Amino acid sequence: MNRIKFLKTAGALLPLSLFHKKALLAAKGSSSTVDEMDSVLRADSKIPPYLQKGDCIGITSPSGHIQYKELLPAIQQIKSWGLTFKTGQTIGLKDGTFGGTDQQRAADFQQMLDDPSIRAILCARGGYGAIRIIDQIDFSSLNHNPKWIIGFSDATVFHTHIAHNYHLATLHSKMCNSFPDNWASATAQQQATINSIRDALMNTKKMSYQSLVNPMNRTGRAQGELIGGNMRTIENLSGTRSSLEAAGKILFLEETHEYLYNMDRMLWNLSRTGQLRHLKGLIIGAMIRTPQKDPNDEMNRSIYELVMEKVRDYDYPVTFDFPVGHIVENYALKCGVQHRLEVTTVGTTLVES
Amino acid sequence: MSVKPLQPPALKKNNLIAMVGPSGFIDAKKTTDCVQTLQRWGYQVMVDPNTVGLYKGNYFAGSDKERIQALQQALDNPEVKAIICARGGYGMSRIIDQLDFKKFKKHPKWIIGFSDITLLHLHLNRRVKVASLHAPMAAAFMATEDTSYLPFIQKALKGGVSQYKFPAHPDNHTGHVTGELIGGNLCLLAHAIGTSSEPDVKGKILFIEDVGEHFYTIDRFLWQLKRAGWMNKIAGLLVGDFSTTKDTTLPFGKSIEEIVKDVIPSDLPVAFNIPIGHQPQNITLKCGVLYTLKIGEKSVTLKEQKS
Repeated sequence: MNRIKFLKTAGALLPLSLFHKKALLAAKGSSSTVDEMDSVLRADSKIPPYLQKGDCIGITSPSGHIQYKELLPAIQQIKSWGLTFKTGQTIGLKDGTFGGTDQQRAADFQQMLDDPSIRAILCARGGYGAIRIIDQIDFSSLNHNPKWIIGFSDATVFHTHIAHNYHLATLHSKMCNSFPDNWASATAQQQATINSIRDALMNTKKMSYQSLVNPMNRTGRAQGELIGGNMRTIENLSGTRSSLEAAGKILFLEETHEYLYNMDRMLWNLSRTGQLRHLKGLIIGAMIRTPQKDPNDEMNRSIYELVMEKVRDYDYPVTFDFPVGHIVENYALKCGVQHRLEVTTVGTTLVES
Repeated sequence: MSVKPLQPPALKKNNLIAMVGPSGFIDAKKTTDCVQTLQRWGYQVMVDPNTVGLYKGNYFAGSDKERIQALQQALDNPEVKAIICARGGYGMSRIIDQLDFKKFKKHPKWIIGFSDITLLHLHLNRRVKVASLHAPMAAAFMATEDTSYLPFIQKALKGGVSQYKFPAHPDNHTGHVTGELIGGNLCLLAHAIGTSSEPDVKGKILFIEDVGEHFYTIDRFLWQLKRAGWMNKIAGLLVGDFSTTKDTTLPFGKSIEEIVKDVIPSDLPVAFNIPIGHQPQNITLKCGVLYTLKIGEKSVTLKEQKS
């Protein structure tokens, strides 16, 4: 088969997996290297159109329950960016902990995907529930009408599902419930993280991030698309059609409210499913752990050691304490967009390229 | 159709059982009743001094190296006819890929445990193809506990064929199926998916249990199993103990029965409230062995097929 034609077919319909990498290598001939292949594959993720003034953001709740009044700080900012908004029918709905029944949440998300006037879909909050509806949503309209899907934590499901099946960039960022109630009195950091959502969506400027040096970092440079999110969510997508496909990419991970041993087990799942083997780089954000009731039950390791032991056979750069996760310093990250990572002995930079 | 796992031979009087700690630390005091009971059953017991009852200043029964060594020696030693894991907790994920089952495969022996040991059962089923015992561990033998479920281990070790009868549960789906048993702790089942330890569950009877997780976490695990295709492949489902499941401030609003029924085909035979899990009422199940499950209107029976 003609390789370019194959690529186009694969890009439109099929998961971008190692299987395809092997198939592509076979199609290309034995002289190819994986690096060459990555450069071919890098072109694959499409980027939805950036938002212009007057464009509309749809706000829906695919996971946890949220009330309309909790959206107001986000709505105020969206307006200040010159954008408009529509709220979905799930806002205010409640079914147990969910923002409406599975059917209601799926239908609301579907309606926003299918509405051509909506240029981006912002998940109102995380919590739990996306995995229950992901298979009920038909994302195929993204092929002809791509739009930004925005969120983190439980919304990691959307990032990996869309990357796996549609090769489209998405935005990992704070959601409505993280916008400061009073913008004027918000800290500079709070404002900067919220502004990073605007910068990413409206392409006001190239994204750029810094973090302080951590002695456990592994220095190096890398270039690749970003992919990642919440570790627990990623583990529970393993073996499904929404699974993480991190090969050839820069992976970022964050976690909250878990015992350290659970985080270790999640890292082993990443390791044992082969996700850490072909990375370009690894970014570790906030790893917020729940202490054991009995301190004698703690593992005598740091999260840094637990990560490094899983990647010691590889030589890509690894950076810790990156400003992403369930913390105030949670900056917007464009999944599926090329970035350059530089981890040096004086600090780390990540720059959109 | 996958190859039927080998069944280790039954134990004889004076056979040697090794107790090792492959996962979390256990206090020596919690193991003495177990050792004495196994001795009373007519077995010799060898306790690994390095991973059982020796506090190393942290969570684990020993360093990764010590735990691998203890389990590897017990696997390889032809004199050892069964291995009882002292405790679960956490740690099997860290060592599973460093274990070598070549000698063990030549002279298979029963491996006993549950909870974190689920990963070892799954690995044995998928990679090694040897049956193993999902059964209580050392602390369950303490005289202060309800020890009425221990005779089931004794019977299994002696080569007895297990046969259980449970009361019906109003949420059960009736049915009559025969299949290999596989299962264990739900968190570990989910954890194995996508790895080299993930079992082929086609046509099998799956059993699940979990301890102290939140309802939404249980729900997420079950959705992973469903989305990985398990619920359409299995022949039957046994739902064990979930009594310690925690709720959130905003109640999850669904019972375990409702959560399970949401993710399974409506015609899948399922039985609830089966005594499997982190409670004294924990039956002994042979993973990788054929059982016939009959879920009727009045009762549930689970019978091991004579091999």
